[in-house]
Amino acid sequence: MTKKGNKFSLFLGCTIPLKMPQLEKAFRDVASILGVELKEMEGVSCCPEPVSLQSLNIDTWLTLGARNLAIAEKMGLDVLTICSGCYETLKTVSVLLGEDPEHLKKINEILKKINYEYTGKITVYHFVELFTQPEWLEKLKSLTIKPLDDLNLAVHYGCHLVRPSKIMRFDHPEKPEKIDLILQTLGAKTIDFATKLECCGYCARLQEEIGEKLVEDKMTELCELEEEVDALIAVCPACVTQYDRKEKIIARKTGKELDIPVLYLPEIMAIALGVDLEDLSLSTRSVKPNKLIEKLTT
Amino acid sequence: MSEMIKKNANDLDLNFRYEITEKVGAKSLLKCIQCGVCSSGCTVTEYVDLQPHRVVASCLLGLKEEVLSSNAIWTCSLCHRCTERCPKNVDYSFILALLRNMAAKEGKIPKEYSSTVKVIYENGFVVPYTEGMKKNIDRRRERMGLPEIVPPNLDDIRFIIDETGLGDLIIKKEDDK
Repeated sequence: MTKKGNKFSLFLGCTIPLKMPQLEKAFRDVASILGVELKEMEGVSCCPEPVSLQSLNIDTWLTLGARNLAIAEKMGLDVLTICSGCYETLKTVSVLLGEDPEHLKKINEILKKINYEYTGKITVYHFVELFTQPEWLEKLKSLTIKPLDDLNLAVHYGCHLVRPSKIMRFDHPEKPEKIDLILQTLGAKTIDFATKLECCGYCARLQEEIGEKLVEDKMTELCELEEEVDALIAVCPACVTQYDRKEKIIARKTGKELDIPVLYLPEIMAIALGVDLEDLSLSTRSVKPNKLIEKLTT
Repeated sequence: MSEMIKKNANDLDLNFRYEITEKVGAKSLLKCIQCGVCSSGCTVTEYVDLQPHRVVASCLLGLKEEVLSSNAIWTCSLCHRCTERCPKNVDYSFILALLRNMAAKEGKIPKEYSSTVKVIYENGFVVPYTEGMKKNIDRRRERMGLPEIVPPNLDDIRFIIDETGLGDLIIKKEDDK
């Protein structure tokens, strides 16, 4: 457990709470079962989104991020993030400004004018980082009600969770294993595959074809594997949306039978921890996880 | 592959490399040995007019105009593999962010990027959260038993965007008065 125990300020971001609240629900269910105490962060803004803001003005990006962290500092709690984009932004703010006091001073000069100050006292976590600490893995194991024994899962780490490793300091940047570890603890089998570490392409905004090609490559590989893959598991709302939506589009365009459902890690964790399938709104996905549900309920 | 660029030595911006290395974290630009590892692992390598190692070479040569007008700097998917794999620790993805910042200052901003900032300026979030949208979102959250969203003070968010210099580039001020 972290130095502050099991109590965190929860940073939701925008996409999950405003567009995909079913993912937030799954996460909160998991946290509550495991006994993680979450405090709501009032008045936080977009993290802000790492692609546009960082691209257009690095200082705007860092200053808005520092304002969000200042709110957690006032609460006296470390931050728990549930989206890889938020995690990248807030962790970068904390690492970069932690290493560059001059820059921090400049940013605080702006923040002070609106009555905020960021001093760098708190740590930013992603929930995967938390749940792979030995104590939590043990807890996960002991609280598993419905082991995922029969499932064959493919993990998509996404780029922003693990890279650049000098900032994220999260897992191996090209051979990460933390998400696999969580799924294995819940009883599932996770597979190795060639495109495991490939980007989902969501952030390559200017050319739609880049994302489509990346999604097609990964989904085609997964569909052609000898052992049937029950689901692709991701931890970022952008990756989940990208694979779920594009998979359908590509299947239509190419006539390929691509039908692997995409789940957000807390959703599959919630199932293992005994949350009722009805409460998880899995049917809102473009690719319906019918086969998976059938497997889990028989 | 891009066309060959012919340029007079006098037309090169020899200071360009130092404009980049001024920023902490970008000094690594000067260490590039043109091995091409960045380009071989690049997610978008087949879609760009200048591959990563050629962007770096162009920066070092002083081809500022060519770099800042290239599609390469905006096509990147930010997978950070270049930075991860560079044997000389050149932080290409950070350098690329700086190049985008420079291009933005010159007003070269793809609308896919500026529109995001506008949404944040209007809502505090990257997803519209006003009036009808807000009502729908709130209702959906309530049904799921999720806590109410307490949005940020928009004046604070706008102050930061303006004060750091991004506001003037993105937000048209004509509606203010």
